[in-house]
Amino acid sequence: MHIQVGARTDLGRVRKNNEDCYSVDDALQLYVLSDGMGGEAHGEVASQLAVQTVLAHCRQSVNSRSTPIFGESSPDVSERTNRLASAIRLANRKVFEMAASDAEHKGMGATVVAVWVEAQRMSVAHVGDSRAYLLRAGTMDQVTADHSLVAEKVRVGILTPQEADASEMQSVLTRAVGTSAAVEVDTDEQMLVVGDCVLLCSDGLTRMATDPEIASTLLTSSSAQEAADRLVDLANEGGGVDNVSVIVLRVLEKSEGFFDRLKIWKKYSG
Amino acid sequence: MSRLVLKFENANLREVPLGNHPVTIGRAPDNDIQIDNLAVSNYHARVYVEAGSLVVEDLNSLNGSFLNDIRVERAMLKDGDSILIGKHEILVDQVHNAVTPAQDLRKAPAPRVNETMILDTEQRRKLLDAAVAAGERSQLSPERLRVPTLTVLTGRTDQKEYRISGKLTVIGHSKMATVHLRGWFTPDVAAQINKHDDGYYLGRGDRIPKINGTSIHGPTKLNDGDTIDVGRVRLHFMYRD
Repeated sequence: MHIQVGARTDLGRVRKNNEDCYSVDDALQLYVLSDGMGGEAHGEVASQLAVQTVLAHCRQSVNSRSTPIFGESSPDVSERTNRLASAIRLANRKVFEMAASDAEHKGMGATVVAVWVEAQRMSVAHVGDSRAYLLRAGTMDQVTADHSLVAEKVRVGILTPQEADASEMQSVLTRAVGTSAAVEVDTDEQMLVVGDCVLLCSDGLTRMATDPEIASTLLTSSSAQEAADRLVDLANEGGGVDNVSVIVLRVLEKSEGFFDRLKIWKKYSG
Repeated sequence: MSRLVLKFENANLREVPLGNHPVTIGRAPDNDIQIDNLAVSNYHARVYVEAGSLVVEDLNSLNGSFLNDIRVERAMLKDGDSILIGKHEILVDQVHNAVTPAQDLRKAPAPRVNETMILDTEQRRKLLDAAVAAGERSQLSPERLRVPTLTVLTGRTDQKEYRISGKLTVIGHSKMATVHLRGWFTPDVAAQINKHDDGYYLGRGDRIPKINGTSIHGPTKLNDGDTIDVGRVRLHFMYRD
């Protein structure tokens, strides 16, 4: 199994700076995306620190098996997934400490969504409202549950999804990295299948484009990078109100040519 | 039935019904609408009814009173007018609308679309508790004490029975598989079971499994007693105490 990656981040059409940050580690098959918040460009500092911390902790754990786990491990998921959650908890602590260390940085924080692939298994961990989607056999599902007030209201039954989309309170988060001393990280695991497409994105994409538009873009792109570029264009055409970042993963059979890839795409999307 | 709504930065602070007596506005405590702000004079302005019309009158305040952004000494008011006193806004509302708690919530400081806010735990609990008390519970039910198990009915596997625990259960030839399938041509991941908040879902791997004889279309929730077919292996899904 081989993962083809495409990624892009864009300022959008309205903002003056980009507070999103992402990173792709091909060797480790580790993909991290973060959307920063906090005035005066502190969002940028928060998202970069979050991404760097997650990467460093995961890399270290691969090199040294005795790297301590930050926070509590869950017996429900694999060691790899626990490690990814540990990395995000550590990122939380680092951003929190930086925010507390000087008055200027007070209140800064970030969302984080990360995917780590080991053999065929995908570990997903996140805090906030940046999302992971899985597109399989023509159907796209959101893998992560948003940590936003409107999403919680929908889950509890107070709002319908349509009301949530129209709400003024969409950018109110219930969990973020860096805004409190400890944070609960949500995790999930799934086995990937050749033909799958995984999308990580900040809300700059999902506020400007609908899920069907996103799915259609993924299905009709011939490479992961083309998909990433087209998704950013889609967000900007929709208004580009916020920074937008995407990481697209396409799960392919090992070493194939262009036509082989097309065949596999068709076979598994039937 | 008219009223004045006192607002500050888009949040409704108070409402004062307008009857027959004048409403005074100012910093001193004996005003009908007291605004404790240095930009506001002790007796800044008043609103009253004269010959059937609503009128606002500035009481020689230092910083002035503004009606729809124009400084006035005395002017007639109509529905929807906005009076600015210091940094506070007073809206004229001449149609009486019942204000429900849901509406109040929306009028509370709503962040601008391009700004992200984090809600602290206390605020969040208050907002969600109120609504939960009002009605529907979420689908989250307390942890079942019954253990989901897979019993092998036919096929070559490493065990006869498996307990499902954890978010991911792999059925296949892979080292990561819980239900390890034997055979040279068995795929590493034939099928998988994913745990969600509301139950266990059977999903495809390299094979498309069947539930009770029907191939699944996407992740499908497993019910007590379902039969799962993955290739030549048949499993029985059951909740045990």
